[in-house]
Amino acid sequence: MTELLQSLVRGLGSGSVYALLAIGFVIIYKSMRVISFAQPAFMLAGAVLVSYLVLELPFFLAVPLAAAAVALLGVGVERAALRPMIGKPVFVISIITLGVDVVIRVVVNAYIGLDVRQIGDPWGLRTVSILGIDVQQRYLAMFGTTIVLVAALFAFFQYSRMGLAMRATALDQEVALAQGISVGTVFALSWAIAGALAAVAGVLVSMGGSIDQQLWIIALKALPVIILGGLDSIGGAVVAGLLVGVAESLVGTYGGRVSPIFGGEFAQVSPYVLMLLVLLVRPYGLFGTREVERV
Amino acid sequence: MNGRPELYTSYRQEMSLLNTRPKRVWVGAIVVLAVLMPFALTDDILQLLATGCCAAIGAIGLNIVTGYAGQVSLGHAFFLAIGAYTAAALSGDPEGRTIGYGITSLPVWLLAAGAAAALAGVIVAPLAVRLRGLYLAIVTLGLVFIGEHLFRGWTELTGGPGVGRPAAVPTLFGQRLDLDGEFFTKAQKLYLLMLVLLVIFAVLARNLVRSRTGRALAAVRDRDIAAAVIGINLTKYKLIAFAVSSFYAGVAGALLYVTIGYFEPGSFNLLMSVQYIAMILIGGVATISGSIMGAMFITLLPRITRELPAVLPFISEGATGRVTVFQVEAILYGLLIIGFLIFESRGLFGIWIRIRNYWKSWPFSY
Amino acid sequence: MRAPHRWLAATVALLATVAMATGCRGGSTGGTTQEGKQGIKTDVGVTSEPCPQAIDKNKGCIYLGTISDLTEGPFKALAVPITDAQKAFWKRVNQAGGVGGYEVDVTSYVKDNKYNPQIHNQVYQEIKPKILALAQTLGSPTTAAILPDLKASSVVSAPASWTSLWGFEDVVVESGTNYCMESMNSIDYAVGKFSPKSVMAVHLAGDYGDDAAAGAKIAAEKNGLKFTDVKTATGQDNQAGAIDAIVNGKPDLVILTTGPTDAAVIIGQTAARGFTGKYIGTSPTWNPGLLKSAAAPAIKALYLQSGPWETYTADTPGHKAMRETLGSSIQPNDGYTSGWVWSYPLKAALQRAVQDKDLTRAGLLKAVKALDTVDYEGMLPTGAGKYNGNPNDTVVRQSVIAKPDDASPTGVTTVEHFFTGPTAKDYKFTKACYQ
Repeated sequence: MTELLQSLVRGLGSGSVYALLAIGFVIIYKSMRVISFAQPAFMLAGAVLVSYLVLELPFFLAVPLAAAAVALLGVGVERAALRPMIGKPVFVISIITLGVDVVIRVVVNAYIGLDVRQIGDPWGLRTVSILGIDVQQRYLAMFGTTIVLVAALFAFFQYSRMGLAMRATALDQEVALAQGISVGTVFALSWAIAGALAAVAGVLVSMGGSIDQQLWIIALKALPVIILGGLDSIGGAVVAGLLVGVAESLVGTYGGRVSPIFGGEFAQVSPYVLMLLVLLVRPYGLFGTREVERV
Repeated sequence: MNGRPELYTSYRQEMSLLNTRPKRVWVGAIVVLAVLMPFALTDDILQLLATGCCAAIGAIGLNIVTGYAGQVSLGHAFFLAIGAYTAAALSGDPEGRTIGYGITSLPVWLLAAGAAAALAGVIVAPLAVRLRGLYLAIVTLGLVFIGEHLFRGWTELTGGPGVGRPAAVPTLFGQRLDLDGEFFTKAQKLYLLMLVLLVIFAVLARNLVRSRTGRALAAVRDRDIAAAVIGINLTKYKLIAFAVSSFYAGVAGALLYVTIGYFEPGSFNLLMSVQYIAMILIGGVATISGSIMGAMFITLLPRITRELPAVLPFISEGATGRVTVFQVEAILYGLLIIGFLIFESRGLFGIWIRIRNYWKSWPFSY
Repeated sequence: MRAPHRWLAATVALLATVAMATGCRGGSTGGTTQEGKQGIKTDVGVTSEPCPQAIDKNKGCIYLGTISDLTEGPFKALAVPITDAQKAFWKRVNQAGGVGGYEVDVTSYVKDNKYNPQIHNQVYQEIKPKILALAQTLGSPTTAAILPDLKASSVVSAPASWTSLWGFEDVVVESGTNYCMESMNSIDYAVGKFSPKSVMAVHLAGDYGDDAAAGAKIAAEKNGLKFTDVKTATGQDNQAGAIDAIVNGKPDLVILTTGPTDAAVIIGQTAARGFTGKYIGTSPTWNPGLLKSAAAPAIKALYLQSGPWETYTADTPGHKAMRETLGSSIQPNDGYTSGWVWSYPLKAALQRAVQDKDLTRAGLLKAVKALDTVDYEGMLPTGAGKYNGNPNDTVVRQSVIAKPDDASPTGVTTVEHFFTGPTAKDYKFTKACYQ
């Protein structure tokens, strides 16, 4: 029982990181209909920036600063590389984001240097006992951060004017434009939010471990998450993120005992297997909007 | 008729393989030039060009499914892997550390590799019938991850990650093509082999896309509902597109490592799929010649950037300078993709069209 | 439809003509044998013109290639210092008058392999026509990918890896012991210190990890310990399987052959989940940065480090020369030590080839095969550096054990100097351990 609960907590912790990353993808998708492959680079940039800032500043100040900086980077990328492409096929724009990812990561990698870098978080690998079960503090921190950020995002979309504008743009760009909404601002803002979320996710994911050049690969875990949840559903991204995290953790803990085939690294690909299974039944994910086909 | 040689007098003439005289002249000239290359270039460049030819076969395959049929596939690396391992296992040394059956005859393992990959393509195709656009892209990407996991785990076949296994052994008419011979070096032989295969597969692909099937694929790409309305069986044509594309990928995968002689399962990753996408985007979507240009460009790019330090002194060739050649290579790769897509979305093929049109109307071009 | 047929026919005819013609392009890879400085025979990669950065402009130049993991591979943190140390090593050789009438250049042909056998082969083909030998070829599987070509072209290479296979290859001039015997010694050491009952080898797949695991298995059997073998992949997020295996299996001793970040994750997480057994890692597993990581307390409590030679701060003439040549501006790292040690045999071989007046590739290989001893300036025990005998007699069996230490600049200090455990001493070295 303890083992199961511990595995669940680990899953919810890493799942909440996937959820944050996935929300970034979904927000960009909703505004531009593009999957941004630049998210891994933003994630890495955020983590590396924090690892430098904590040398001078307290951790809790460094994280928002880094998130803001990466958000600015996101706005810059959108303005320079994506704005000229409006109206081009979405697939081509997605590939541009791949190019952006490569460029940013080369620069960030140069700042990682040779030795591994530390994020300097206050939790480390310490555990806390809840109801007699030893739980690592960092998983609770991950889960808590994500809950707070998701709640803030929902409030923003629900109650602020800009949030309303973003929702309107997601429904129909031209109509939104006709209502006096600056669609360009919406694009920029969605990239800023996605960048900031990726930066925070980068910090969360390097807690308890360290930052190296391979860290970006974790951001790709968000891809099965967004497909599972549905490309245009923020709620779906959260649910699917947690689901993928828990599934991965359970497969990691118990898979090897069921059969050696499901042991070892199988946990790594289990999100993709889960994605394929779900898509066979629901082609638009769990919460995605079914495309209306008109002849 | 005599005064107007370029006048088409039938639809068939317009749709023919080389429908204009400049096309005939240029294609002829390029083929002759390509055949003469082995006698002018050094072995290391030839090996690179041979690899480029293999990559071009793969890029043509991806262009069939993504460029012509409009089904975005990020799973090309998976099909390349299937081809590479089928060929390597069939032709491998039965006594070696990894699975091998010792069937080294090139046509046998080449066709088997293509067939195995095509079979995998047929199995994947039903997904494409249900999914559209970026959903399909991500799902095919999932194939790459699952495939990578399988190939990493199956060490008897692949040698395992970080180890790898020898690539396919090519023999033709009892001749080993991957050893230096009496008249030709290994690089010369392999380059000529790859060139001939590329010409064969390019002509086949060109014939496919100008046929009824090719037109059906284009209709599916442009608007699948409209295509269905005019009586195109979507399932059937998506299946054909995936099968043919995977066949090409399988063939390319089988050949890709013959020059290098060695490959490891980690090669078939997301990056490889992206490279092939970059090839067709930089070369030109839905063009055969564009696929070849793009493949050559991407294959030669690392080599070109490695020569840069000689020209640009601020780039350090070592690992320790301020700006190293490796960083330049990676950044250039990214910037080229961005630049091409923003400024010339038709790719190298588009640049060629513009140059051609400029001279066509010269001196009245603007 | 006539046109395509005509052109196809023409193409086929042309191809046939070319196929019948013979290749008339001159040999592109090999230079012809010439007489160089002081009557020394030379062929590829040796010029009588001075090196680009020559100290003495009257000397000729020997070009050596380097293929290393310089940008994004898993061993970058080791490979860059290795490469820098080798630059320093040859600079020192040049300052001391070079080799014969020549200076040695290791900076003109430095290539990145990204730890990928395929790229390794590609860049090797690029530099092959311009170099005499390889001053560094990093990685076991990567070097295995070019080994047939190295042998066919007699290109002598200094490896940057410790696979036991190198003991059987003439063209590879390895230094120190191999992963296999290093792990045997580690287990023998642990048996003496904390008498474990069970051993688990957690390792990367491939010649690096497999070699260490093979050695661990042999030593565990010899000592009557329970042995389990767990493969893992590189990357922080790939360690869940290994962590679960260790926590569930509760071995008393874990022999770790991974990259540094992998090690930090494995040690930190298993400790956080209550694991109290010991770890001994092979040298590429270590990075000084680990002592600043969240896993540092666990690493200090549980981890020991084995190695084929003493760490950066050791007190031998070779170590001193290395520290002086590198200067104080660098961040100490045992990559420097390794790069430095690995260069000695090649220097000895070059000197011998010059003595024999034959600095061709074949001449250099002949010199290697005749090497009876290499002067490591005390960095390796006496007897190391013999290449002219049976591998069972010439292999180096000694290794060292170090422990994490904040005070040391590379994060580790030696606790057990060169020693050979009973397992390694008796082991019949007749083929690579993992084969």
